[in-house]
Amino acid sequence: MLDVGVVAVLNGLAIGFLLFVVAVGLSLVFGMMDVLNLAHGALFLTGAYIAWSVAGQQPSWLGWLAALAVATAVGAVAGGGLSLLTGPLADRTHLEQALLTLGVALVVADLLSILFGHDVRAVNPPAGLTGTVTAAGSTYPVYRLALIGLGAATALAMHLAVERTRLGALVRATVADREMVAAVGVDARIVRAGVFVAGSVLATTAGVLGSPIYNAGPGLDSTILILALVVVVIGGLGSVRGALVAALLIGQIESTGRALLSDLASFLLFGALAVVLAVRPRGLFGGRA
Amino acid sequence: MSRRRVLGMLGAAGVGVVAAGCGSSVGSGNSGGGGGNRTVKVGLVVPQAGVYAALGTDMKRGWDLWLERHGNKLGGYSVTTVTADEGEGPQTGVPAVQKLLQQDRVDVLVGIVNSATALGVKDMVVEAKKLLVIANAGAGAITGAGRTPYIWRTSFTNAQVAAAMGGFLAGTVKKAYAIAPDYAAGAEAISGFSTAFTAGGGTVVGSSKPAFGKTQDYQPFLSRIRAAGGQATFCFFSGAEAVSFVKQYAQFGLSPRVPLYGSGFLTEGGVLAAQGDAAVGVQTALHYSTELDNPANKAFLAAYQAKNNQAPTVFAVQTWDAANVLDRALRTATGLSGDALAAALGSVGSIDDSPRGAWSFDGQSPKQTFYLRRVERSGDHLVNAVVRELGVSGQVG
Repeated sequence: MLDVGVVAVLNGLAIGFLLFVVAVGLSLVFGMMDVLNLAHGALFLTGAYIAWSVAGQQPSWLGWLAALAVATAVGAVAGGGLSLLTGPLADRTHLEQALLTLGVALVVADLLSILFGHDVRAVNPPAGLTGTVTAAGSTYPVYRLALIGLGAATALAMHLAVERTRLGALVRATVADREMVAAVGVDARIVRAGVFVAGSVLATTAGVLGSPIYNAGPGLDSTILILALVVVVIGGLGSVRGALVAALLIGQIESTGRALLSDLASFLLFGALAVVLAVRPRGLFGGRA
Repeated sequence: MSRRRVLGMLGAAGVGVVAAGCGSSVGSGNSGGGGGNRTVKVGLVVPQAGVYAALGTDMKRGWDLWLERHGNKLGGYSVTTVTADEGEGPQTGVPAVQKLLQQDRVDVLVGIVNSATALGVKDMVVEAKKLLVIANAGAGAITGAGRTPYIWRTSFTNAQVAAAMGGFLAGTVKKAYAIAPDYAAGAEAISGFSTAFTAGGGTVVGSSKPAFGKTQDYQPFLSRIRAAGGQATFCFFSGAEAVSFVKQYAQFGLSPRVPLYGSGFLTEGGVLAAQGDAAVGVQTALHYSTELDNPANKAFLAAYQAKNNQAPTVFAVQTWDAANVLDRALRTATGLSGDALAAALGSVGSIDDSPRGAWSFDGQSPKQTFYLRRVERSGDHLVNAVVRELGVSGQVG
């Protein structure tokens, strides 16, 4: 039974790190720009379809890297577009912004359905990562182990970038007080576009990375969006550390939680959300009111 | 001049009204006795968007192909088809049926993927006294406990398919694990399988019901299957879930240790290509396979592939057969009312030219042969090769 537990914990890490890459983009856009980007899930799905169409069902390493490159480019363009679209609504309420991005999400999901059809498009891990490793009597897919490593590296890089660089200082300052940053002479439009591009690129590349686990198909966009929103709410807006802790927590809830308390599986996720909201309404690492 | 013209027009209009009146009285008095150009209006209710859209496409193709190959006629009636989008569930499916009945005034309804929708439109169909031929939805209650004479089915019941596999597997292994999503169809599949497997002397060592539509990662369940120590796993999944489950079953190294069996929807249609090599060796029970060796299937397969550039699925066959039974019923029916058509359907006998092999109605649901199918590579694509027949069964559940 111990080995079953180890597999569940490992799996929670893999799912958690993937969720982190998706959610941190959403968290930064929300935290810095105060825009609730409901098109984030559609961007993830776009990335997954890019993996399928560029790299194919059995990707080579070259194909895989090409898919990541295309996803980065598409994410950057989409981020720029979203930034332009939401710009005029910057001073409006969350509801109006949410309606706009929800509309974008629906249109993108429909376009993807027209382009790629209604069938599920499966992607396998790139060559060399398709196998399994066996340890202590249990088997685990290599790709998920690689995902843990890659996710940890991304988290570290994001942490260093936000905490140790000038750009990161700007990001943190914008989360703390947008008006003040504008007042000291930083062009808010550039910051806005930059954050949207970064957030969208994270979403589309996460789509490529997640495609061997989640596949690409209608409905995946809303599934991912909901998970990412839960991560952002639990972690606190605009906090990289919060997104990481929350994503790893959700990963464990989705994995070990389901393994131990299968009857409560559907309840666990939102149960955790409710507990965090009751105890710390601004999230684990959110700023003070 | 102008007054004369107006009078003339009025006169012509009057004649027209009288003629139309005669026509309608002749039409209503016509009791199927060989009129020249009688028409029947059919409402085809299939999903055109959402998670079941791929099934809807196959069903429409099956329907269209039948009409195309039979001069757009059902039992001597010219056919007008009105298609409506069933969507994902009753909240879209019920209004679609309502529109077909009240606005389009169709004579017959065909289609419906979702069982909740099928059960949800029952009262409406009964009130309108129109015939509904279910071409997919598999809940036992539709033609069982919640039966009405107006709703017939050319597909299957969830428990019927699962029981075919349970009976077979009991002769092969002693201990099996069962897993299906936690919704009505999944529960019917697990109970149908368990009943047949236990009756054959097997023991179900455990069962899981992952949340339907909310589970992307099956690892917790795969760990439990491994720990339970069964010699085989029976599962019921379709669509995106079938892809995820089959791939993860292989990824976590279970395939070689605990062979995977299932209801045939697991490897049917587009999902099979997506599952790829992970599906090779998976065995399923179903009432159809493209690989069936009979003349009706060969002709159907060739025509379907020529038109759609894709292999047909069981969903296309079920809708093809819906047209087939309506064709037979309309030849003998005394009219287009639900009562007349239901009576005619009751005496269509054996459907001996179906691609799935001969079948007949057992009550209002098919009594048909089930096949054991194994996923094999054929050239550059995967097929459900027919291993053997699993016997004939009528409605279960």
